[in-house]
Amino acid sequence: MGMIRCEDVCKSFGEKKALDHVSLDIPEGKIFGLLGPNGAGKTTLIRIINRITIPNSGNVFFNGRPITQEDVEKIGYLPEERGLYRKMKVGEQAMYLAQLKGMTAKEATRELKLWFERFSIENWWNKRVEELSKGMAQKVQFITTVVHKPSLLILDEPFSGFDPVNAQLIREEILRLKDEGATIVLSTHNMESVEELCDNIALINRSHVVISGGVDEIRHKYGNNNVELIYQGNRSLTSLKGVFSVLSDNDDAGRHTAVISLEDGHTGNEVLSEAISSGFSVCGFKELVPRMNDIFIKLVTEEV
Amino acid sequence: MKFRNIKTIISREYLTRVRKKSFLITTFIVPILLAAVCVLPAFIMGMIEDKGKQIAVVDQSGIVMPFMENSSVATYHDLSSDAPDSLKSHLSELGYDVLLVVSPVDEVERTVHAVSYSVKPISMDVKDAVQSRLDEAVEEYRIGLYEIEDLKTIMDDVESDVEISSYVIDGEGNEAISSSEVYMVVSMALAMIIYMFIALFSGMIMQGVIEEKSSRVVEVLVSSVKATELMFGKIIGVACVALTQFFLWIALTVVLVAGISSFSVFGNMMSDPESMEQMMGMVNMGGMEESIDMSSGGSSMILSTLANMNFGQIIIAFIIYFILGYLLYASLFAAIGSAVENEADTNQLQMPVTIPLLLAFFIAFYAFKSPDSAVVFWGSMIPFTSPIVMLARIPFGVPVWELVLSIAILALTFVVCAWASAKIYRIGILMFGKKTTFADLWKWLKQK
Repeated sequence: MGMIRCEDVCKSFGEKKALDHVSLDIPEGKIFGLLGPNGAGKTTLIRIINRITIPNSGNVFFNGRPITQEDVEKIGYLPEERGLYRKMKVGEQAMYLAQLKGMTAKEATRELKLWFERFSIENWWNKRVEELSKGMAQKVQFITTVVHKPSLLILDEPFSGFDPVNAQLIREEILRLKDEGATIVLSTHNMESVEELCDNIALINRSHVVISGGVDEIRHKYGNNNVELIYQGNRSLTSLKGVFSVLSDNDDAGRHTAVISLEDGHTGNEVLSEAISSGFSVCGFKELVPRMNDIFIKLVTEEV
Repeated sequence: MKFRNIKTIISREYLTRVRKKSFLITTFIVPILLAAVCVLPAFIMGMIEDKGKQIAVVDQSGIVMPFMENSSVATYHDLSSDAPDSLKSHLSELGYDVLLVVSPVDEVERTVHAVSYSVKPISMDVKDAVQSRLDEAVEEYRIGLYEIEDLKTIMDDVESDVEISSYVIDGEGNEAISSSEVYMVVSMALAMIIYMFIALFSGMIMQGVIEEKSSRVVEVLVSSVKATELMFGKIIGVACVALTQFFLWIALTVVLVAGISSFSVFGNMMSDPESMEQMMGMVNMGGMEESIDMSSGGSSMILSTLANMNFGQIIIAFIIYFILGYLLYASLFAAIGSAVENEADTNQLQMPVTIPLLLAFFIAFYAFKSPDSAVVFWGSMIPFTSPIVMLARIPFGVPVWELVLSIAILALTFVVCAWASAKIYRIGILMFGKKTTFADLWKWLKQK
């Protein structure tokens, strides 16, 4: 049983169905990626978990019981559509948001100072938000989302607006928060981040959950049973016959990189033993798993 | 609803607004202006009084000059022996402001003609003063022509000068002196102030909601607090700003006026009936045709009317009606603000809200003239106009049952509107993109 469980959640806006019988399990202490093309219903689902939007039917459970307003107030939520009061000072604003999350002024000051130091932005405290660049404001926003040490974090497109250096900083912080025991729901279009960070994912397309499960599991499931073999020598692997076919063989001054497609029900071992017994000098061998990006595109376009 | 959250929201709304430069400026400048309005006319009067017009009179009739008594407006100089033409060309060099040439008596018409010459146009005051002197001279001349013994005494005896003294009586038959002009002025002032306050501060709510929505800060907020907490926190926070400003204005105006009085100008004015009348006249300029005709002793009547007015009731009624009226309009403006993404889009949606507010202001103008007419009565009962119209009625005295009924209707309407606005607000603040129509608002209202 996950920390958050959605059961048969349906939501429609007038004629348009935003979510159609969506069920999900978000395990505790893991990073859960919520993927899907624009307009698939991710933000609606996040808003339903946050009780900002009320579903037409279905339930959301938090640690096994129906989620309440009190649970939601503890969630750290970074919405996709986010902003700060432009005229307010950074420090005051962070204090305000932290206090709305239930922190006392004293706690909030202490924790915020720590975070400002960690991000080396102590000197922003008395600046007005309108003086900050977009990326700078995003940093402040990330801090205000996590400062109250939420056990559940929902981050909707947390990397948008960041340069690669800061995006990496945020990725590291997300992993650190996970190590500290937080459960994190990550909605993003950045598939590299999904591979790097997420333990589990669910892909929503056209208001349905198309696939869900562990990232590795899914990548292997959508693998075409291809392997890559690197070997040295003048002979070409294409001469070999067996339960596989060689898709390509690149010869780079005697160093070959071949992509081999296995027939169903066979493993890479057979290729390897065949190659070794045939006298090829093997330098490298690996299973080729598809990128999340490819799986995403495949699933989303197939549906249409 | 969580009180803790609402308190946090209220304090942010309050502090950010109170610390704004514009708040400080308006809070300190308005009392200065108010004090200036109170004191300046008297001050100016004082300046003018010192130099009344110097009038050179060439009396060719021989009957006028004895009646030209000097006053604060004009000092007369008998120059009948001089030639008008040479005086005319050297008027200012000789130190006169006006040359008055009175023709010889016209035996047929039994009157005189007068011509005035001056470098600058003469004021109404001066003209009136000269006119009344001339009239008196001619009347005296005509009386003399009848050759009836003691006619002058008879005429003086016949001349009437009826004064109406108004008293208001309460249920026990107690009388209190009143001046209807004073009531009108107080009534108009109250209606204007409450109109300004309601329009200004409920408009502030709409701007605040739009700011939260357009800066996209709102979704972060509603994940921590309920939308209704946010809306009511904002409304209450701004109400506190309004009340702070109101009390600061009163306090600062009192302090300023007291301060200036110590320089004795204002003190003089209060004890001087003439300038008191001037002041009332100034306040009265706001669009009433009837000019205030103060009889002698008018200022004491003003003062006693003011003293008899129930200021406790007026201030309490002002605060109750301001709070309720503001709450009603603020919740409506919050709903409108939630439905748009920037202020330019509000025009169409806010019409149904701004029209009753303006209407109330116009009905209040009738209240100055006829506080007991049907339109004014209904205006003070209908909740969307009652805060302003009732305040305009209050100085004239309103039966308690009408006050209670009107406040009850207003409070009830606020509850219903706040509930409806909260429903619209809850959905509106998260709606982006499409331009909102009235049909959308209706749909959101029904949505669970």
